[in-house]
Amino acid sequence: MPDLTAKLIEIYQLGDEIAGVLDLPQELWPAPGQYLPAQRLSAEREILPTHLFQVIGNNAGLSIAPLPADWMPSDTLGLLNPRGHGFSLPETARRVALLALGVSPARLLTLAAAALAQDAAVALFCDPMPQADLLSRVPTIIEASPLSTFQDDLDWPDFLAVDLPLEELPRLDDMLLGVPLGFEGQALIRAAMPCHGLGECGVCSVKTRHGWRLACLDGPVFPLSEALNVAR
Amino acid sequence: MWLAEETPIRKQDLTLDKPWVNAAGVLGFAPDPNKMPFLDQMGAFITHPISRRPRQPAKDRCCLPYQGGFLLHTGLPNPGISRAIQRNRHRWAGASLPVIAHLLVETPETLAEMIQKLEGLENVVAVELGLPPDCTPEGLAAFVEAAVGELPTILSLNPDQIPVLLPALNALHPAAVHLTQPRGTLPGLDSALVTGRLYGPAVFPQVLHAARALVAGDLQVIADGGGHTPWQAEALLGVGVAAVGLAEALWGINTNQIT
Repeated sequence: MPDLTAKLIEIYQLGDEIAGVLDLPQELWPAPGQYLPAQRLSAEREILPTHLFQVIGNNAGLSIAPLPADWMPSDTLGLLNPRGHGFSLPETARRVALLALGVSPARLLTLAAAALAQDAAVALFCDPMPQADLLSRVPTIIEASPLSTFQDDLDWPDFLAVDLPLEELPRLDDMLLGVPLGFEGQALIRAAMPCHGLGECGVCSVKTRHGWRLACLDGPVFPLSEALNVAR
Repeated sequence: MWLAEETPIRKQDLTLDKPWVNAAGVLGFAPDPNKMPFLDQMGAFITHPISRRPRQPAKDRCCLPYQGGFLLHTGLPNPGISRAIQRNRHRWAGASLPVIAHLLVETPETLAEMIQKLEGLENVVAVELGLPPDCTPEGLAAFVEAAVGELPTILSLNPDQIPVLLPALNALHPAAVHLTQPRGTLPGLDSALVTGRLYGPAVFPQVLHAARALVAGDLQVIADGGGHTPWQAEALLGVGVAAVGLAEALWGINTNQIT
């Protein structure tokens, strides 16, 4: 049984993903980094739910991605309540770096509004660099730079938010290896979560300093201090 | 009902009020009514596979979708039998439906040790043995012998194992046979081949075929495998299975579709 239902009111291309807008009341929106299990109610053969994340978009509703290619505007989605732990931006953060490693920065950019609202400066580092349609949605006050420049700016942020697939964790370790980190950070670690916590199936397991954790229940956002230098 | 009314009930038999169970590994270690509103429609809860020692996730763990389903390879991580009991015994005891403990079988000796730990636990009504993929008829006999105790034994195997094990199953006549998802192989990340269990409607015809062969051998059968719609459940019950096991269908959001 779905916890909620909502109508898909718009679909658009966002970089290499399909995004959409849901007519969901704002109090039910997932926080940045949380996920929203969703399934099209009319589909008989949608085998697993799709996990939707809030992405940067317009203000008409909740912008979410990634959508399956066959979802259409006016489709009704069955949803579960937002799952997992999202980002938690410290109130004291004044220099926020967003690092998208091998993925679109669309999810990380949902943190930008909160950061700008508390007068923080925001810098975006990406690999690959986002496509023009996504960049056009980024506030002009935010500078987007290639990932290669990130290591030169490690002394700048006081908060780092990372979005990366599970298999890229060793690469993040390499980037930060031997650097005394003068900042707090959190990482959205993306893995397949077919059971969305119901089965504790273990396919989304993440090795942390305190043992194995499940991205679906304990994440998908983890403190950087938990996830760094343990993936290998 | 699980048994014909004229058959006397033995200590090693098992009864289920409703012909629905979950597949091992799809609902975790213990029933949670807050997350599982469908529990009252199920005849028993089957735990996540439990091994003697703690198991870590597989290094190449993955979920690989394909047309008609997905391959899941996890390594079946679990805390081991002692911690599983410690963490869940009260939840099992307080559950609104009977609990069947699914055990990952390694050797007859360790199996006997695991079963001893489960005997006497409140509301644990049977053990289900997850057999190794390469289990031989001789190995099966040894496992069944090691499992003899207070709890009925259900043997869990996939359709590929039936041609090899069917004669032994007929001879051993366990309380039930639980037919689970077939195994398969797909290219994973970096094109390396990954082997795991196959979920989704694409495997249903294979499971129905295997279920019919087991029922013809006069075995009590629980059958999982790709069931998403009422007609699939009806087909399985129609060939004579005693219960239908639901797997990935329980991970769907519109679970009303199933029942």
